[in-house]
Amino acid sequence: MEKLHNRILSDAKLKAADVIREAEEKARQSVEESRVQAQKDADEILSKANLEAESIRRGILSSRIRANRLRVLDEKNKIVQSVLKSVEQRLSDIASTDQFQPALKRFVAEAVDAVGADDIVVRVGFQNAERKSLDSLGRTLPTRTRFVVEDKSIDDLGGVVAGDVGGKMIFNNSFRARIERLDNQLLTTISSTIFGE
Amino acid sequence: MEAVRKIVETEAQAKRIIEDAKLRAQEILESASAESQRVRQTAISGADQDKARILKEAREKAEADARSSDEETNALLENYKNLFENRKEVAVKKAVELILGG
Repeated sequence: MEKLHNRILSDAKLKAADVIREAEEKARQSVEESRVQAQKDADEILSKANLEAESIRRGILSSRIRANRLRVLDEKNKIVQSVLKSVEQRLSDIASTDQFQPALKRFVAEAVDAVGADDIVVRVGFQNAERKSLDSLGRTLPTRTRFVVEDKSIDDLGGVVAGDVGGKMIFNNSFRARIERLDNQLLTTISSTIFGE
Repeated sequence: MEAVRKIVETEAQAKRIIEDAKLRAQEILESASAESQRVRQTAISGADQDKARILKEAREKAEADARSSDEETNALLENYKNLFENRKEVAVKKAVELILGG
């Protein structure tokens, strides 16, 4: 009888121990799986954070570098425009320098040559130019060339405009027109002189 | 009769042992669940803190680099100003000569 009693209790204790061992094993596995998954999730958070950090870094830097490039371009443009303004001022006063006569002769010759007609009208107009010296140039031109001295500067800065009598063919050799034609060369010359580029 | 009563009592005792074990097992699993939750919370919270630190450092580093770019640009602009003062006259002269075409 005692044996049976002990046997029943012993079986129950064994079964209880199994139940607890099973639960402990399940618990251990569950915690371990959670630890692995949590580490995986944490690594993913950090991996994304590093990508985001790189993106933020690039965003801040590229935006500032772009803004600084614009500042540099703006400043260079201001400098070039300032030089061009001085050039225009210098050209508008050119009539009082010894560069004037040779340049005027070249401008007239170029314009007449460009029109290439027999009967040509040449108009000249410069600020502060002596009428006498302009008229004397007119007298050196072929007889079929009509020479007109304007009271005002042509295209503001002065220059020469030639055309055939019918007005079909006109060649504008004013300072303004030459500046426009030489635009790229002028910018290159000014930039290379100022900035050494 | 006494023997039967004794067996019934023993069976009841055995049943209690197993029921106690089941309750204990349940507690173990609940505790494990709480531990899992805590482990997860700790890992994610740590990662979130690291993330905030990484982003903060990235911003600070980028801002420092950006300030460095600003300083380089300021120096460049100052240099342009000096170049302009020193070379303006030559540039004007060259441009005028180009336009005059001599």
